[in-house]
Amino acid sequence: MTLAVGTELTPVTKEVTQAKIDRYARAGGDGNPLHTDPAFAATTQFGGTIAHGMLVLAYLSEMLTANFGRAWPGGGRLKIRFKGPARPGDIVTALGRVVREEGGVAVCEVECRNQRGELLVSGEATAPAAGEGA
Amino acid sequence: MSVPALDELPKGYELPAFPFELSPDWVREYVASVEDEAIGEVDGDFVPPMAIAALALRALLEGARLPDGAIHLGQELEFVRPVRVGEKLHASARVVSRGERQGWVLSGVEMDVTAADGSAVMHGRATATMPAGGAT
Repeated sequence: MTLAVGTELTPVTKEVTQAKIDRYARAGGDGNPLHTDPAFAATTQFGGTIAHGMLVLAYLSEMLTANFGRAWPGGGRLKIRFKGPARPGDIVTALGRVVREEGGVAVCEVECRNQRGELLVSGEATAPAAGEGA
Repeated sequence: MSVPALDELPKGYELPAFPFELSPDWVREYVASVEDEAIGEVDGDFVPPMAIAALALRALLEGARLPDGAIHLGQELEFVRPVRVGEKLHASARVVSRGERQGWVLSGVEMDVTAADGSAVMHGRATATMPAGGAT
């Protein structure tokens, strides 16, 4: 599908819970206690458990699949920085906008924010602009 | 067998390569855990692209332990082609940067995922910081 420059991508919103973090930890094999052990996490700079960065990126990736269809898993690129933690109880929204097109590739600014508008993830994603679609 | 912690690995260290399979059961559990409602709308029985990265990372953590308290700072990913449920892939990775400051290590790790025929499926680079000495 082709998305014009300036198009706001349809967002994806998810609620983060400790149960979801624990389930992702089991699936992803990442048992870092920062994510799964409230007692340990309370001793860290975060003061409590936080979601895996890769879990939050999964929400961003779902948004890109929903907007670009097969072009996302079939040629997409993502470059992001984690700006803040997603915590149990947060409502995370993945957002994006097509900012330019370069050689048949749509370049998007992407981010994730929580329900307070705090920036969690910021970066750039690209996908073939005229992919096969969903 | 104990494996080294990521914070101990020098620049240039090659992590042991690992094969892995995107089995239907694992993909089902992954999709449920991230609540991905979009990939099912794409024709072709493909896995969410982040599932490739997640399972490759899981395979590589067989060869290098992530210290408790490690923090993921940044991520770059390139998905070369869609991957179908059930495909068998191969992950390899290397430490491409390492710095240490005030008791924390900053490491960059590049990862490549290839298919059985050796063709590229995914490239990635992760940046993470963690307590030096694998503190817990």
